[in-house]
Amino acid sequence: MTIKSYMSTFIRRSAISLLLLVVATGAHAQLKFFTVEKDSIPLFRGFAVSFDLVGAGLLALSDYGQYEAALRVNLHDEWFPIVEAGLGKANYDDEVTLLHYKTSAPYFKIGIDKNMLKDKHGPNRLYLGLRYGFTSYKIDISRPVYQDPVWQWDTNYTVNDAACKYHWAEIVLGVDAKIFGSLHLGWSVRYKQRLSHSEDGEWGKPWYVPGFGTYDTKLGGTFNVIIDI
Amino acid sequence: MSMVVVGLISYLLPLTSYLLTSCTSIECSINSLVRTRYQFTNSAGDSISLQDTLTVVTTRKDGTQTVIFSSDSIIYNKGVGTCKFHLPISHSHPEDELVFHFIGDSIHLTDTLWVEKEDYPHFESVDCNASYFHKLTSIRHTHNCLDSVVIVNPSVTNDDQVVHVNIYPKIGN
Repeated sequence: MTIKSYMSTFIRRSAISLLLLVVATGAHAQLKFFTVEKDSIPLFRGFAVSFDLVGAGLLALSDYGQYEAALRVNLHDEWFPIVEAGLGKANYDDEVTLLHYKTSAPYFKIGIDKNMLKDKHGPNRLYLGLRYGFTSYKIDISRPVYQDPVWQWDTNYTVNDAACKYHWAEIVLGVDAKIFGSLHLGWSVRYKQRLSHSEDGEWGKPWYVPGFGTYDTKLGGTFNVIIDI
Repeated sequence: MSMVVVGLISYLLPLTSYLLTSCTSIECSINSLVRTRYQFTNSAGDSISLQDTLTVVTTRKDGTQTVIFSSDSIIYNKGVGTCKFHLPISHSHPEDELVFHFIGDSIHLTDTLWVEKEDYPHFESVDCNASYFHKLTSIRHTHNCLDSVVIVNPSVTNDDQVVHVNIYPKIGN
């Protein structure tokens, strides 16, 4: 077992253990976890929109990243169903292999967060949540014409419009702090797991997946600007 | 409480940045060579060693002929006792012409193989060199020393252990 696969197994087991710790402390605790506290606060508390600055920053400063926005429903300051949508892009040239990789496609995530703080109705929140993500995208890969090392024929290396699909899940741990008025700032750290993927043709596997990141990515994060509406 | 959360956010900023930037790795296949594996075979289907000395040459784009070298210690310039051997395969040319020179004590026979194939770009990562995988579609050959040549596995990838082509020499070679 390699160090990477060992770490991957360790992280996966830790994440599962964390979830089990939260949800499996007994039947009573489970029921309590999935119920809404009874008090005078109404169930529907409004919407919030958010924008991720990490993905946009990556896109501005590196060769890949994403623009991502989210719409979150506030249910009793405790449960937060959320839809996230974005545009993931990569336009990468490798100086050593001379390979060029390009893709640009929308992606969608749906999920739910739970506010883990005891003071549910306070100005700040600590989230634990899950996401399901999906994207359908096309890839262009190319390399400048080179000579076959034995035969010396000019060789074109191109993969054009290779259609791919990718499904994944995320475990989200995040914080949200009220700054003033309806403005919040928040962070989230995400553990990602590929669920399934498909690629048309026999060219191999993708390197960057819109919304997911590089193919074998396990960790990601967001820094969100959140506005209650 | 607000200050605690803001403090937590500040703490997570460098941590998250570290996580985002530290989990990259380069994972290319250990064997990046894509080669065709040939095997001399008798009529019973068993692999046999060639008694003659074998040299394989090919014609390049500019018309010059060059001896093909395998990347391991077996060289097809005067290879002796050859049983199984690898030969390179062109990246994207539809047909490779391979000339086999069989040199014995008093004879020098040649046979030419024309290997037709389909070529597929293979991609692993932007960090890994471009390569091609292939599908062998047919092989024509002359019959001076060779009885027949059969494609037994048409898919040529970076799996070095797969035999792709069986070569049946005429009895006595």
